[in-house]
Amino acid sequence: MSAIQMRSIEKSFGETPVLRNVDLSIRAGEFLTLVGPSGCGKSTLLRILAGLEAPSAGSVVIGDRTVNGVRAANRNLAMVFQSYALYPHLTIAENMKTPLRLRDLSFTERLPFAGPLIARDKHRKLQEQVEETAKVLRIEGLLNRKPGQLSGGQRQRAALGRAMVRKPVAFLMDEPLSNLDAALRIHMRSELAELHRSLRTTFVYVTHDQAEALTMSDRMAVMMDGDILQLGSPEDVYNNPQDIRVAEFVGAPKINLLPGEVDEAGHARCGEVALSRVAAGAASGEVRIGLRPEHLAVVERDEPGALTGRLVHRENLGADLYLHLAMADGKHRMVVRTGVHESGHIAVGDDVTFVRKRGEAMVFGRDGKRLSLSEAPRTSIPEVA
Amino acid sequence: MTRGSAHWWFVGPALFLMIVILLMPIGIAGVLSFTNYSLGNAGADWVGLDNYEKIFTRSTYEKMFGATFRYVFVVVPLSVGLGLGAALLINSTKRFGDLYKTIYFLPVMAALIAMAIVWEFALHPTVGIVNSTLERGCGSVLETWSWYAHGCERGFPLWLTDRDYAIWTVAFIGIWQGFGFNMVLYLAGLTSVPRELYHAAEMDGARTAWDRFRLVTWPMLGPTTVFVVTISVIRSFQVFDTVEAFYPQGGGPSKSVYVMMFAIYEKAIQQNLMGIGAAITVVFLAFVMFLTLIQRWLIERRVHYT
Amino acid sequence: MTDLSLSSAGASSLPAYRFSVGETIKHVVLILGALIVLLPFYVMLSYSFKSPAEIMQNTGGFFGLQEAFRDDYCVKLGKDVADCMVTPVIYNYTTAFQKAPLLRYLLNGAIVTASIFFIQVLVALPCAYALAKLRFWGREAVFGLVLFCLLIPVHAIALPLYIMLAKLGLTNTYAALVIPWTISVFGIFLMRQFFMTVPDDLIDAARMDGMSEFSIIWNVMLPTAVPALLAFAIFSVVAHWNDYFWPRIVITGDRDLFTPPLGLREFKGDADGDNFGPMMATATIIVAPLIVAFLIAQKRFIEGITLSGMK
Repeated sequence: MSAIQMRSIEKSFGETPVLRNVDLSIRAGEFLTLVGPSGCGKSTLLRILAGLEAPSAGSVVIGDRTVNGVRAANRNLAMVFQSYALYPHLTIAENMKTPLRLRDLSFTERLPFAGPLIARDKHRKLQEQVEETAKVLRIEGLLNRKPGQLSGGQRQRAALGRAMVRKPVAFLMDEPLSNLDAALRIHMRSELAELHRSLRTTFVYVTHDQAEALTMSDRMAVMMDGDILQLGSPEDVYNNPQDIRVAEFVGAPKINLLPGEVDEAGHARCGEVALSRVAAGAASGEVRIGLRPEHLAVVERDEPGALTGRLVHRENLGADLYLHLAMADGKHRMVVRTGVHESGHIAVGDDVTFVRKRGEAMVFGRDGKRLSLSEAPRTSIPEVA
Repeated sequence: MTRGSAHWWFVGPALFLMIVILLMPIGIAGVLSFTNYSLGNAGADWVGLDNYEKIFTRSTYEKMFGATFRYVFVVVPLSVGLGLGAALLINSTKRFGDLYKTIYFLPVMAALIAMAIVWEFALHPTVGIVNSTLERGCGSVLETWSWYAHGCERGFPLWLTDRDYAIWTVAFIGIWQGFGFNMVLYLAGLTSVPRELYHAAEMDGARTAWDRFRLVTWPMLGPTTVFVVTISVIRSFQVFDTVEAFYPQGGGPSKSVYVMMFAIYEKAIQQNLMGIGAAITVVFLAFVMFLTLIQRWLIERRVHYT
Repeated sequence: MTDLSLSSAGASSLPAYRFSVGETIKHVVLILGALIVLLPFYVMLSYSFKSPAEIMQNTGGFFGLQEAFRDDYCVKLGKDVADCMVTPVIYNYTTAFQKAPLLRYLLNGAIVTASIFFIQVLVALPCAYALAKLRFWGREAVFGLVLFCLLIPVHAIALPLYIMLAKLGLTNTYAALVIPWTISVFGIFLMRQFFMTVPDDLIDAARMDGMSEFSIIWNVMLPTAVPALLAFAIFSVVAHWNDYFWPRIVITGDRDLFTPPLGLREFKGDADGDNFGPMMATATIIVAPLIVAFLIAQKRFIEGITLSGMK
């Protein structure tokens, strides 16, 4: 187990840049997720780490060894592929044994028929390792089947088994859950997180699904357009997005964004409503104000600073109820989280009044960067909400 | 024409032709193989298994089987192996792949009879380009090879008329003509091997090209190989053009190139011994159909992984 | 050896066309192979350009020196020696057309291959349509028969076919050249597989428009099947243009019915030393149409020829 550094990685396919000067340091033993929309370069970054792709510039350091130019087979990493990439002609046991066979046995020991005779003990040991791993993954019963006879979930486990059977420096996973059905996918999230805790090995996990990143990772790196926009714990990324693109990508339903502006005093305001905190040092001008659905609350009666919208869609998730509201300006929609008990009576077409919870709003400048807010030194405008 | 009977109008002609052109002849061959029929004679005598007995006892037919199997057993492995080798090489080079592919495919397109005649010239003992090129190598290091030195001293082989060389020379031309076809089938097979399997193999520690070949390429080409082998076997069983062009009389030096199709042609068409020709036909059909059935069985049983 | 992406990924960051030992060895092997493959084509073309003396002595390079030589046959006819001096390449190609009715052979080849293909389609297309899209009693049995007939190589049953044609008095006719090939079970199979992929809705729509089953085949199915048909055409034409065995059996003696391969064979039969050049010219002319077509539309040809791979 060792830390991994990726320094100033650049990659372009022909003229198209895919990664622009990416730095990433992965701590030993952590579960790190690379998340972003498709085409953001996350898979390429993983494949560069694996050694399946050569970077155009930059270096990869595993432990204290620079592995540029070291082929994938010699990096001691294990990978789980999106399509699982199991060898269709081999049984699950043989599939899982392959990485051991290729690494631990000499050419003569690998010969069919003769090999097992020459090195019987070694072959037995490999078999035991396979069985042990199969037990952990609960696929002992499938060992003699071929991949074609298994379901998607079983294949996924077999692919995990092939990666786990030896002790690699890190596990690399390229969207391993995306071919599973929804229920199994959610189940596998907790199972993978558990597996990570028991193995205590570095996991580098690529996904386009922000929910997977939030639920499983120790840290997540949000990537867009060949750059890492933000790297941090899921809580940090969710609560403190440093970029408007991160704020929009992470969280479902999406964050509400309202146009606003910063006045001379540094208060961000949206129409009549102004925030109490001050964007220190920000030049006045247009901004966007972000409010997550859970930062809004439905109120019965009009209050100062409250907003009103007409309910166009109720999204009932059982515990939570999301109200999709069309704002009076006709351009914006806001989503408000509420409970079924409190707001169950509201019907589509009703006008809904809501307020924001104090201190939660995020303000993003014109360049999309987050502006830091602080308590105003003195109250110049009547406080709202 | 009503909807109800349309299908018989559609299927009828094909059905009729299938029965008359493909099935009936098998029956006729089967019946005739028990007679001494010849064209022009009014009737024929029932001779029982005589024809078959001849085929499996007489030395002429022993030579026929010998030549046929020698040809098949040389041409099939080599044309399949070279086809695979060429496909792998072409697939792995970055440039000129299409050019090689085109060149190797040319013999498949050319009329074999024409090319056989050209080969006959090329292999001509005195004016042929092959032996005159070989002679030019005399005096060089090549002479350390004893076969070559022998050739320089006593003259290079009479490729087509020497009993020891004839069948192998004909087989060589068969390989020359057929391996490009196999290559193209293998190239098609290679494009359908999922990329990710090679990446998985690399991650699993397959460091050498041989490891990757054993682990991924060869197993994934299984269905292609079964097909390529069967097609090659059937084609080489049917070899005729080269043999007839080189040896219009009698099947080569000491009948060493007396292959089955030529035997059928010689016995039945040239000598009007229809009974024996029919018997060879039946044996031949049995071989070919047996092999095709094995292929289908293999494809369904073993090489389909799902 | 088989992994393109690993090596090309590695190379993309390096200057292109870097010298590499492995790559060079591969090309050496491939070029050697190409030389052996091309050897007879080289011999054929080169000899068709050369004079008999150059052929005998193996001189003159690829094109020969094109020095005029004396045509002995012409001298024998009693003409003046000066009039009988000929340029090798012209002599070879004109002799090819004069000594035998080569044009006639080529025409026969075209007639035979075209009629075979035409009838094959005429028979196979409706059958394939019925097998793929119509439900009727006995359909499975007919399809089973098709699958069984795929096992039978027509060359193998040449003898009983020959007897049947002889009994009907059809040997030495165009019919004898064409009849055994009129049924292509492979064509039926191929077209059926293709029609299976055509959505039923298309046919139902055509029926709603009032088309008969017959016009559905020719107006709806045929146009959609063009790519498959084209591949099959190449497959069929190549096989029958080059076929030697079957014409050799059913055409005996009547030169007017010779197909190109037969014509070449006969030329060879009475060739003496002087005729090498004209004979190679004949071979070139016979082989050229398909080779040229192949070079022009390689992709389609390879597709067509490898069609049998779908069996």
